[in-house]
Amino acid sequence: MLKRAAFMIACLLCMIAGPALAEEKVLINGIDANYPPFAYVDQSGKPSGFDVDAVDWIAAKMGFKVKHVPVDWDGIIPNLLAKKIDFICSGMTITEERAQKVNFTAPYWEVKNVFVTKKGSELKADEIYGKEMTVGMQAGTSEAKWMAEEKEKQGWKFTIKYYDSAPMAIEDLVNGRIEAAAMNYPPARDAEQKKPVQIIGVFGEVEPFGAAVRKEDTELLDKLNKGFEMLKADPYWDELINKHLNK
Amino acid sequence: MKRNDKTPLMRVQGISVRLGGREILKSVSLDLYEGEMKVLIGPSGGGKSTLLQCMNYLILPDRGEIELEGRNVDPHNARELCSFRQQVGMIFQDFNLFDHLTAVENVGIALRKVRGMGRTEARDRAMAELERVGLGDKARLYPAELSGGQKQRVSIARALAMDPKVMLLDEPTSALDPELVSEVLTVIRGLAQNGMTMVMATHQMGFTRSLADEVLFMQEGQIIEQGSPKDLLADGSGTRTLDFCSQILDVEGCTP
Amino acid sequence: METLNVLLEALPYVLQGGAVTVFAVVGAMFLGLAVGVPLAVAQVYGNAPLRFLSGLYVWFFRGVPILVLLFLFYFGLFNLIGLNLNAVGAATIVLGMTSGAYQSQIFRGSILSLSKGQLKAARALGMSDGLAIRSIILPQALRLSIPGWSNEYSIILKDSALAFVLGASEIMARTHFVASRTYKHLPMYLTAAVLYFLLTWAGVAALRALEKRVRIKGYVQ
Repeated sequence: MLKRAAFMIACLLCMIAGPALAEEKVLINGIDANYPPFAYVDQSGKPSGFDVDAVDWIAAKMGFKVKHVPVDWDGIIPNLLAKKIDFICSGMTITEERAQKVNFTAPYWEVKNVFVTKKGSELKADEIYGKEMTVGMQAGTSEAKWMAEEKEKQGWKFTIKYYDSAPMAIEDLVNGRIEAAAMNYPPARDAEQKKPVQIIGVFGEVEPFGAAVRKEDTELLDKLNKGFEMLKADPYWDELINKHLNK
Repeated sequence: MKRNDKTPLMRVQGISVRLGGREILKSVSLDLYEGEMKVLIGPSGGGKSTLLQCMNYLILPDRGEIELEGRNVDPHNARELCSFRQQVGMIFQDFNLFDHLTAVENVGIALRKVRGMGRTEARDRAMAELERVGLGDKARLYPAELSGGQKQRVSIARALAMDPKVMLLDEPTSALDPELVSEVLTVIRGLAQNGMTMVMATHQMGFTRSLADEVLFMQEGQIIEQGSPKDLLADGSGTRTLDFCSQILDVEGCTP
Repeated sequence: METLNVLLEALPYVLQGGAVTVFAVVGAMFLGLAVGVPLAVAQVYGNAPLRFLSGLYVWFFRGVPILVLLFLFYFGLFNLIGLNLNAVGAATIVLGMTSGAYQSQIFRGSILSLSKGQLKAARALGMSDGLAIRSIILPQALRLSIPGWSNEYSIILKDSALAFVLGASEIMARTHFVASRTYKHLPMYLTAAVLYFLLTWAGVAALRALEKRVRIKGYVQ
């Protein structure tokens, strides 16, 4: 019995270590698969979205193989630093704090941040700051960080509730547990089409998106920068925007 | 008399044991000659069981030595200890059969794992030992399916399979229902008649009278009286042994 | 109707996550067995330093939340020893090592519930302690541990849902992904709940069958 168990464990270890060895050559793009329309998992279970398509195009042009692996957003930079993934192209806002740990490409997209409420709510965006209410947002995001800092500085009255993903905040909004949710415009737009919610206004600053690589991977950074330049000059760029962002 | 000027088969010298601050054995010595049957008698708590377990080094004495066939045994040497224990069989009051093994596996397991016998050879030998104690037909049964008397006979077969030079029996019948005692005593009697060297703790007086070469009366961790059953148990001998025996007979209400 | 379509579409994808979950849970069970048995033996029969070390192990893995352990090992300790495991592998090992601590307590209880005479009888036959533990004590103790084991199985199964924080694509993570895309949170989580229930049921039934198969005739503890 013990021998059999030892054998099974050996097999398991091989299976665990096997893929890691075999896929050495493929670069891994860590994505937040809970962030439609930039990155999500489609009906067939494949990673999809604006960022995923963009990276696939760039990889083909720049001559490297890529695989998109969903990673929990909260731990995505630790994942990059621990070499579990090779880069992050998944709607990541370029911030100073993140730039201390990773290198970003030039911004390839910009998003506004918006407040979302339940459909039919009378709440106005500029009323939120002064009210005692609860606003939901995704933990570990740049907008959540900005909101927490500004709230401290300005003495805003609302309470922040953190979620694992923006759609979960939307879900709680619909359930009535929070009065408003704050997030990037594209996922809010996505939610607006699928749930009884509405965008009521913008807040904060415009956020530039960039792809992140480890500090030492300058070669990959160059490839991604060059790739985005080429992509933006290509008709495919508009196609992507139409497909994912202008629905 | 089987004893003469030969060296003893087993020699126990000055064994002392303290457990929990209490002195269980106080420098006990005895010589065991080949083919001899010694019986330990005495009140419970007198040290009989501890002495027997010391004689197999199941309990390590604080002081004292054991020699087997003239050679001193070092209980701190694992190899020597295991080899010594193989040569000294032990029968427990509550059998201690391995509950997950059938009768034949109980007898055969040490042959395979300790003696290194092959599976078939071990099974054949185990079957032979079971036949010897009259349990050939129970070989495939698990301990839980056997009666107390059958369990004890399996445990005797298990000990015999190791070809021990000495057998130690710690009240082998006292956990048995009265009607099962005789089947076990019959097996032990057979061993004695075939010349097995044995030390047995028991309260079976009839058995002792007829088979023991020497009776040792133990009390408070010491051997207080020793001698032939005839001398110690003779009417009017005035020994403590006789006194003790008549007490237990009164209690148990049976004749010797 | 639309919900049903989403569910049907998502089911194969989530079921594949079930395979990942089963892999992690079965792997963790066996790893826990491999770790738990020596720990239990060390705790019952070991000398003072061994008892201390195994006690320390058990105390650590029982005392630290599994989420903390997952992050600690995945981002820190595994890399420190040059082991770059994928998320499923790391989760399996962390779950297994944690389970080892709990399983050791199951085995320990089973060993202690055996009569002391078993070891004594084995020693009296000339078995070394190691041999006696391997061939006499453990076969009995492991049988007694099966009911505790099936309890442990359902706990690991539920803990495995935490593996998604490392990005392991198991049931929970996939459920979450589909819910994010479709905004069908409630039906998706219900589906996950049913899947977990079925897995619990299947595992417990399998262990019960094992218990029956290795049962010793007439033996009642």
